[in-house]
Amino acid sequence: MNSVTNSLKLSLGRTATHIDRLPLFTRVVLVVMVTLEVLRVLFPRSWWDLEEWGRLEPDVMGIATMYRTNTYPLIHTSAIHLILNLIGLTPLLERFEASHGTLTSLALFVGPLSTGPALIYVVLERFILRMNTPIVGASIWGFLLFGSEAIRHHKVTPYVVIAGKPTIPTWTAPIAVLFVAALLLPGSSFLGHAIGLGVGYVYGLGYLKFLSPPDKILRWIEGKLNLRVRLPHFVSVDQKTYGRFGVLPLTNLAPQPVVAPATVMQLRRDPRLLKLPPYISLLCIVIGVAWLFLLPLDQYSRRTYISENALLPGQVHTYFSGSDQNVFRAYKHEVNELVGKDNTAINDKLEPIIKGLGLKTARQNFTYHAAGQTFAGENLYAILQAPRGDATEAIVLVAAWENVRHEVNRNGVPLALTLLRYFKRWSLWSKDIILLLTPDSIAGPQAWVDAYHDAHDPARVASLPLKSGLLQGAIAIDYAQEGRFESLHVVYDGVNGQLPNLDLINSIVNIAGGQMGIGVALQEMWHHNNGYQDRLSTMLRGMLKQGFGLASGPHSSFIPYHVDAVTLRPFGEGWQDEMALGRVVEGSFRSLNNLLEHLHQSFFFYLLMQRERFVSIGTYLPSAMLVAANFTIMAIALWVKSGQPASKTEKKAEKEVSTPSAPTTVERDLFLPLGVVALIQSLSVLPLYLFNHALETALTLFFIVFTLLPSFLAHFLNNFPSTPTTPQQYDLIRSFSLLLLGMFLSTLATLNFSLALLVGVLAVPLTFVPNSISPNSGLPSRVLATILLNVFNPTAVLVGLGLVYGWFGGGGVDAAAGADVSNGVKWMTGGVWGVLREAAVGWHVCGTYSPVVVWCVWWPAWVAAQVVVLGKKEVKTGSEVPREKKDA
Amino acid sequence: MRRFLSLLWLSLLSFFTFSAPVSATDSDYHEQLNLRPLPLSSLLASFNFRSNTTLSEFEKGNFRFFPRSLAQILQHAGTRELHLRFSLGRWDAETWGARPWNGAREGGTGVELWAWLEADTNEEADHKWLTLTNALSGLFCASLNFIDGTRTTRPVMSFQPEGDHSAVDNMQLLYGVLPHEVVCTENLTPFLKLLPCKGKAGIATLLDGHKLFDSSWQSMAIDIRPICPAGGECVLQIEQTIDMVLDIDRSKRPRGNPIPRPPPSEQLPCDASKPYNSHDTCFPVDHTNQEWTLSQIFGKTVKGTCPLADEAVPPVCLQVHHSRSVFVSKDVHEKKNPDGLSRCFHISPETDMELMLPRPDDAEAASSSTSIIAAETPLLYAERSFTGHGQERGGVQTILRNPSPDTEVEFIYMESLPWFMRIYLHTMEARIASQQPHTNASSSASSYSSLIEQVYYRPALDRARGTQLEVRMRVPPASTVFLTYDFEKSILRYTEYPPDANRGFDVAAAVITILDPTTQGQEAGGKELAAAYTLRTTSLLCSLPTPDFSMPYNVIIFTSTAIALAFGGMFNILVRRFVAADEGPEAGLKVLIAKLKARVKGVKG
Repeated sequence: MNSVTNSLKLSLGRTATHIDRLPLFTRVVLVVMVTLEVLRVLFPRSWWDLEEWGRLEPDVMGIATMYRTNTYPLIHTSAIHLILNLIGLTPLLERFEASHGTLTSLALFVGPLSTGPALIYVVLERFILRMNTPIVGASIWGFLLFGSEAIRHHKVTPYVVIAGKPTIPTWTAPIAVLFVAALLLPGSSFLGHAIGLGVGYVYGLGYLKFLSPPDKILRWIEGKLNLRVRLPHFVSVDQKTYGRFGVLPLTNLAPQPVVAPATVMQLRRDPRLLKLPPYISLLCIVIGVAWLFLLPLDQYSRRTYISENALLPGQVHTYFSGSDQNVFRAYKHEVNELVGKDNTAINDKLEPIIKGLGLKTARQNFTYHAAGQTFAGENLYAILQAPRGDATEAIVLVAAWENVRHEVNRNGVPLALTLLRYFKRWSLWSKDIILLLTPDSIAGPQAWVDAYHDAHDPARVASLPLKSGLLQGAIAIDYAQEGRFESLHVVYDGVNGQLPNLDLINSIVNIAGGQMGIGVALQEMWHHNNGYQDRLSTMLRGMLKQGFGLASGPHSSFIPYHVDAVTLRPFGEGWQDEMALGRVVEGSFRSLNNLLEHLHQSFFFYLLMQRERFVSIGTYLPSAMLVAANFTIMAIALWVKSGQPASKTEKKAEKEVSTPSAPTTVERDLFLPLGVVALIQSLSVLPLYLFNHALETALTLFFIVFTLLPSFLAHFLNNFPSTPTTPQQYDLIRSFSLLLLGMFLSTLATLNFSLALLVGVLAVPLTFVPNSISPNSGLPSRVLATILLNVFNPTAVLVGLGLVYGWFGGGGVDAAAGADVSNGVKWMTGGVWGVLREAAVGWHVCGTYSPVVVWCVWWPAWVAAQVVVLGKKEVKTGSEVPREKKDA
Repeated sequence: MRRFLSLLWLSLLSFFTFSAPVSATDSDYHEQLNLRPLPLSSLLASFNFRSNTTLSEFEKGNFRFFPRSLAQILQHAGTRELHLRFSLGRWDAETWGARPWNGAREGGTGVELWAWLEADTNEEADHKWLTLTNALSGLFCASLNFIDGTRTTRPVMSFQPEGDHSAVDNMQLLYGVLPHEVVCTENLTPFLKLLPCKGKAGIATLLDGHKLFDSSWQSMAIDIRPICPAGGECVLQIEQTIDMVLDIDRSKRPRGNPIPRPPPSEQLPCDASKPYNSHDTCFPVDHTNQEWTLSQIFGKTVKGTCPLADEAVPPVCLQVHHSRSVFVSKDVHEKKNPDGLSRCFHISPETDMELMLPRPDDAEAASSSTSIIAAETPLLYAERSFTGHGQERGGVQTILRNPSPDTEVEFIYMESLPWFMRIYLHTMEARIASQQPHTNASSSASSYSSLIEQVYYRPALDRARGTQLEVRMRVPPASTVFLTYDFEKSILRYTEYPPDANRGFDVAAAVITILDPTTQGQEAGGKELAAAYTLRTTSLLCSLPTPDFSMPYNVIIFTSTAIALAFGGMFNILVRRFVAADEGPEAGLKVLIAKLKARVKGVKG
């Protein structure tokens, strides 16, 4: 308490003495200003409008009003204005008077330093800007003095030193203040201040010296009038030479750089800080992966709910039964007769049947070439026009002749026909219903949807002769299984991991489960006990499918066009017949028919882990982001590291000698690392192109080439440069490539979470690859790194994919899904070739971008790592110590 | 006696009507229902009601058959000719052929209104138009008042007055359309009220909202136009038309049980020729030309005739071959028309008319061409759809097909687009679909240029008026022309989105007016272009970028809560006076007691 009052007293006392020591002219000016302000407040506009009288108003300037060029700095608009200006002006004016003398100050400030800026202002405002903004106030003097002061300061200390480097010239400080003032003080005249500042600069540079009266005359006046004696606080001409306060402190300023607080610097230079990033990276990965395993828990996942109330799922009676089954049987006979025939023959037979229902039909041809194969066929589709509708909206019912496992959709096609016949009887449809019969499950729907949205290549895919309105939803029936079924498998993965609106899946789960009593399974989890393990595996399967981004059924092609779609596939042996599936479709169509708006309410980004449990993007995204962030952290760490002296011993010695000394930075050789990374990145177009355009037979050959290429490339790059590569350059190569990887992956995480996470996790070794020529990397660590790198490289993962996916995909499925076993076998026998072919087909037909991610994001990062690991150990000589630059 | 008189009257009338061709003055009101079976078990029912009033009577305010409510609106808004359409569904030209009335009595989906107003300036016309739309909105229970400046256009080429107008100079044509308006029973009731018999007698008794709005296509039209016969007095004619296409299967369902439950399997018509045909397997035979009766289809019979109607005009006509037998109730007189394709029925005023079209004989059924009169091929097929996807740009593509093997079709294509579809006129092109998909561009390019003959384009102003595009073009015989143009979607302001914004925005149907080739030679001045046939495309649904509307509400709710909490607490603290408990005035019972005590003391003292 006591000390506070003491300090208060002290500072008050200081202020008092300071005021007491103010020189004469400054005092007079202050008194005049305050007096005028008091007058202005006492007689507000009644008797003599002071402000009106004295302000500098460009338009009224003339010979008679010249007095305004002198009066305007003395008048203020308000007390606050005055106080601000006083605070700013007093020290500057005092300093000026102290160094120039009272008489000079009087002469200058009554004369040119007031009128000069005033005239410039008037000219600018009146003739150039053609405006008329009156100004008052002493701030123009303040800026003038500030400018001249800054120039003086600049002569002594040219730059503000930040972090050991001269960065900001000191004379710019007033400009910053100028802008801050313009921004912060409303009603302040930027132009006036700027002119004041400009004149101040000119004065400070000495070009206006001629304005001040010569010393001789001043001395004569002083002598004659004996001013020094008569006037208190007078600063004489002679005093100013030395300064009234002895030596002016300005000239004594030592050229000292402005240094950041020592503790921060010490922390920055702490070598422990550089050792931290790998651990942070590791932590990111561990948390990211662990996060994923927490998601299936009840606390982290949510129950699904219907967000769009208009859907009203399961609220209608379904009537698809009875004699419609007789019709179904007849259609099934018709379809059975067609099994084994070619596409056109099938369509020739089905088209009259559909036409007989009173629907409009049309056909569409398509031909796709991918991996040396041709996918050609003819789509047949029919439009059931909404009885009272107007071709503005439509729902699609898809029945592919063959499903993704190449089984004939024996029950699905007749069921779709029967349903359409049944739907035709209703008059309640508000949207057209389109029946789409495609020869296969991938290319056919893709061609049709592309053409529907005019996004097709007319050379390969024919345009649609018949169209309806906006597609609001699509349901595909995949019912190849013979006999009755137990439950329904809802397939929802779209191309590139895009998903349909969760409301659609929820509605079907609700209708099938709640209304019809048919269980629903997801992601080939035929028996789901809603435990942690089953939830986790459902989620992981979903992520794997999402990551591959391939089409998983006829519905997949619809999703990129913002048409929500699912495939319904019955499975198991139970007591549900095809009419039950028909009723599920009927119920779903009735729900979609209710929709007034496009499905938009619910989630588009989610992970389902059970039919009634999901996590939304906000919950799962941090996982992939953390994994992606680990690369960025490492890249930054490597960048910082590359900027520090290379040799450890040298650094140690330096640290012992002069810890608090100026920081050292090493100049980075950016050209070679940037060139290498750019080269590798541009080379990545090569595999992308070749794998997507090569013939089927050449795929394996190319694969071998691109598996071996990185090692050669590494060897080549390590031997090619004429000057040996330094460890710093290796660090920089890694830094850049990891930076790119982190950037790409975090962007990708928002588009395709699973793919970003998969690539991120598989690319983890790239973070921890030891620098081959760093002194502490021995042979074992290098060998280990090489092995790790080659196990987790894109090509090896592709090999593993063919095997592992086939093995687990086949092993984990029971007899009900026996087809998967054959599929798995196919994958296994096909091996890499199969995977590459699938990818090429996905690329050409569906526009899958996973190959881009693998070849243009992951592969170059891996090649860069390979280059670093296989780097040649440099033979270091004394002369090749990296150039160091110390700051002045 | 009465019957005798009426017969006499009838014969007299018929004498008059047959001796002199129907002149406007003496047949003041007549009504007629035309029934035409269409392929795929559909039935077109066209109701037509027409009445006249002389212009002098109209001016005086003497309305006999002319509905007073409507007439007053017309007088007030200075309307010389008016056309109002309420439509639903689409006409399936491929199956059903040419449109009834050559398309002159139908509109695009929703509500369409065009009128010639007496006005010297545009402002006056706009003012009268506003009066007219608001008044009609009240009269017909439709949102016609939403036809504002953005939905109003002034067609230049497409519409021509149907009536005889002496002074055309001070008439202005305004056209407005509401594509999103759902036509329903509430529009039918006022429509029927305009009729002299109000739907209580005559063919109007068949008009029932349930049946009308369950039809596959329906159009209600009101046309008012002045007609000046040569030498006669000018009359104002109001014609009310209802056209509907009924699905016979659907209409025959009883009203109390409209759910299309699967029929019992024995009632399911099966194709017995199929080898697998059995008691539980049935290949269905649909759309056999089923028998129907009026009461099955409309739910009721015709209740006599409207006594005010001209009895010379037969109230019901049926268009089937004369070879088919038709059963009618007694007191209904059938009269076969000489063309061999239609017959009409005269009804006596008090009888209920029932009509039954039985299933054709088996021999005939084999050749379905005789059971139904072959549909007339329309002059042009038109189909319009959006191209492209995404929320930034789009395109419109209209496929125009001329089925005629030798006649060229010349027509005017009119679009009135909302302002938020900013079309790129330079992208508009018309090209003939080549027969071979791979013809070189140079050979076909020469023919493109001549397809579009004239373009009238009035660009949109944001939030003030829509785009108006009229294209006069032609389609060569037996060819298909693609008319395409691109557009950009604007982003609306937050408050400009209607409820259910994610549905999209309806774009009105394009109007195609085919010019009559016979009059084309004479109209060198381009003044009178008689329309031979009119058709409209379907309307479109344009999805604009839509914000997540819940977000602003979240923000509003969040900030409101924060401010309420902060402000409430702050205000409470500022305003409240804190006093120590013993310093404050005492409250409650104690004060009362103290007061009482004081009072008692006062009394005592």
